[in-house]
Amino acid sequence: MRGLRAALAASLALALLAAAPAGAQDRAKSKEIVIGLGAEPRTMLAVTIVDWTTNTQLEHIYDRLLDRDARTFKPKPMLAESWRIVNDTTWEFKLRRGVKFHNGEPFTAQSVKATIDYALDPASKSHFASAAYWGLVKEVQVVDDYTVRFVTKQPWPNLVDSASLTNSLIMPAKALRELGPQKLAQQPIGTGPFKFVEWKRDERLVLERNPDYWQGPADVARVTFRFIPEFSARMAALLSGEIDIMKDVPPHVVEAVERSGRAKLRATVSSRINYLALVNLKPGPMQDVRVRRALNHAVNVEELITQVLKGRATRMCGPLAPANVDYAPAECYKHDPQRAVALLKEAGVDPAKLQLTLDTPSGRYPLDKDVSLAIAAQLGRLGLKVNVVVNEWGTHLDKIKNRKTGDMFFLGWGPALHGQGTVQPLFLADQTYSSYGNNPVLNEKIRRASTLLDPKARAEAYAELQRLIRDEAPWVFLWQQHDLYGVASHIEWTPRADEKVWMYEAKVVAR
Amino acid sequence: MRAYIASRLAQTALVVFLSLSVVFGMVRLSGDPVLLFMPMDIQAKDVDEFRQRLGFNDPLAVQYARFVAGAARGDFGESLRYQQDAMGLVLERVPATLLLGSTALLLTLVVAVPLGVVSAVRRDSLLDHLGTLATVLGQATPGFWLGLMMIYLFSVQLRWLPTGGRGTLAHLVMPSIVLAAFFAARIARLTRSAVLDVLGEDYVLTARAKGLGEGRVIGKHTLRNSAIPIVTLAGLEAGQLLGGAVITETIFAWPGLGRLTVQALLNRDFPVVLAAVFLISVLYTLINLVVDLLYGWLDPRVRLR
Repeated sequence: MRGLRAALAASLALALLAAAPAGAQDRAKSKEIVIGLGAEPRTMLAVTIVDWTTNTQLEHIYDRLLDRDARTFKPKPMLAESWRIVNDTTWEFKLRRGVKFHNGEPFTAQSVKATIDYALDPASKSHFASAAYWGLVKEVQVVDDYTVRFVTKQPWPNLVDSASLTNSLIMPAKALRELGPQKLAQQPIGTGPFKFVEWKRDERLVLERNPDYWQGPADVARVTFRFIPEFSARMAALLSGEIDIMKDVPPHVVEAVERSGRAKLRATVSSRINYLALVNLKPGPMQDVRVRRALNHAVNVEELITQVLKGRATRMCGPLAPANVDYAPAECYKHDPQRAVALLKEAGVDPAKLQLTLDTPSGRYPLDKDVSLAIAAQLGRLGLKVNVVVNEWGTHLDKIKNRKTGDMFFLGWGPALHGQGTVQPLFLADQTYSSYGNNPVLNEKIRRASTLLDPKARAEAYAELQRLIRDEAPWVFLWQQHDLYGVASHIEWTPRADEKVWMYEAKVVAR
Repeated sequence: MRAYIASRLAQTALVVFLSLSVVFGMVRLSGDPVLLFMPMDIQAKDVDEFRQRLGFNDPLAVQYARFVAGAARGDFGESLRYQQDAMGLVLERVPATLLLGSTALLLTLVVAVPLGVVSAVRRDSLLDHLGTLATVLGQATPGFWLGLMMIYLFSVQLRWLPTGGRGTLAHLVMPSIVLAAFFAARIARLTRSAVLDVLGEDYVLTARAKGLGEGRVIGKHTLRNSAIPIVTLAGLEAGQLLGGAVITETIFAWPGLGRLTVQALLNRDFPVVLAAVFLISVLYTLINLVVDLLYGWLDPRVRLR
């Protein structure tokens, strides 16, 4: 009996030992990187679902038509080597030769056409069929094997911006036709630096190095994405060496990461922006531009950044950030409570009697709820009463879309890399998530700016728009988020402002 | 007997139908399903087009009829979020939930029943008091707190166990303990009081008087007679465990049914929610049926009725 018990205990111990997770050191030797994400991908098909988590994982398997320079954020060659404007409604791309998909199929103009055709086909139920993505494309024409033309329904200067995002992950034409999307959704085939190995639902996605990658094989031999929904557990996994990279370390736990000795913090200014919308699309004090300006003078943005976000944000003074290709500098609203009160009085509003409601999500953006409460406190110093309503994320979106929020709401936007992608959806009244609109001058200028193909004319148009929007004060302009990543000490990788987390750019340094 | 089971199965079908109908109504009240799976820069026109295509613009009665017709054929539609068969997604999670649930249930019974019996038999001893303390703590400790503390201690500090995920025996240790802690506490307390009740009965006195060993007195006469409330509670708990342990599965990144269901609720992925509710309510009512049949086996008096 005793012998049996001992044997049982021993075998249990053995099972546990054998089961002990491969440590960070083993992974460093085998050049494997594990990335902890909050959610799993929603599909393995390219150009189907617009979702950062999904497409970040997919772009290890598929390549974009164009990439983006990590510093200037300008489009640069990737699967396409060059591009030019043929006429107002035609763009031409010259494609790279000698690129092969993981199944051996050559990458050609047919691949590009098949991919965009798939995205636009209503049967694919692709988000990318929307006008905000590829919906403005009338037709993709194959000129020859390595030349492809995009014919658009109207002049579309942002096509090149769209092509330099995960909007343009390219699938193989022949496999798409012969295997069909259902098969590719299980066994994705791309031209990218990593090949698909397995996807275990709610557990992990495993990829291995593509030795024949056209840019040369990656340093990393294996990339595993693990799906850990709970933030604290993700953090624990990083600190215990189970995962090597995690995104969105909250500012207040930065120190714990640095102290751990296992990981270090890697921060970057993000192209994702946060703002406080001052809603003029419904009756209320925010319809008066003087009230909106007053609030810009009343909120102390610098204080919010230093006190609440521990310095982990970069102030913005207009609607676009420097990470945006159409950015032009704008003059900041100075923190000036007296000027704020004077403006309110001028608008016929008694600060002591003004009651406002501020809607905020909780946990969607860095310290969003805390920031909202701090803004309410700052406005309280002027005598304004601000009621902060904390919403579950879905409710928050519903309220914004149905114009049921209070006078103000907190929201983030991004990655905001080109002007049209911000001003069009956010400053026109008929857009899903806009808070401001019905300004005939702006309506016209926004429409015009989005059709200018000439770079100089476009730059001028967006500069003027930014000036006008800054003066209209549709938001309290807040900041660019800082993206904070926890990265294991044995990994060399620099985060980028456009939220591209691409392990082809990572190095494993065995010690 | 056969007629009894048949009528119980009919009841099961009714319960499942009613719970699906209630949940159908409730999820529709929670808001627009389309916004949450669409990108934020989508235009109002496209949102509406998607809603039209998915049938969310139809009158609620039409949507309900369509849903019932589909569900009757086992078709719960396509997940809004993953664009995949909803029931398929749910069924994929079942093995993980069964593994975790049954391990936790086993752990619960192995720990809790002996603890309850010993506490009752050695009433007011140090052991009894310690047992009571443990059960109160077990019931009062929130699962997420216990889970995070264990992760911190055993994964981050000692590095004995993985923080989460599925794969090996080691992955199963912490989630099943956290899950079992609460249920074990309840079962242990119930066992203690049930055994105490029976210990006061005349037949136990008789059994002891005729010189039976304490082992037989407790094992045969006492435990079997106090089994009914324990089995009832264990059955209810089994139902809850198999429905997926939302918090435990989320904290330990366990790929189970509870985690999927809650994520689907938060994302308003209605087809997945309804497919999960269907499966959970079927399991739950079937377990109840099994428990009722167990009564008859445990207690012949029930069989006679």
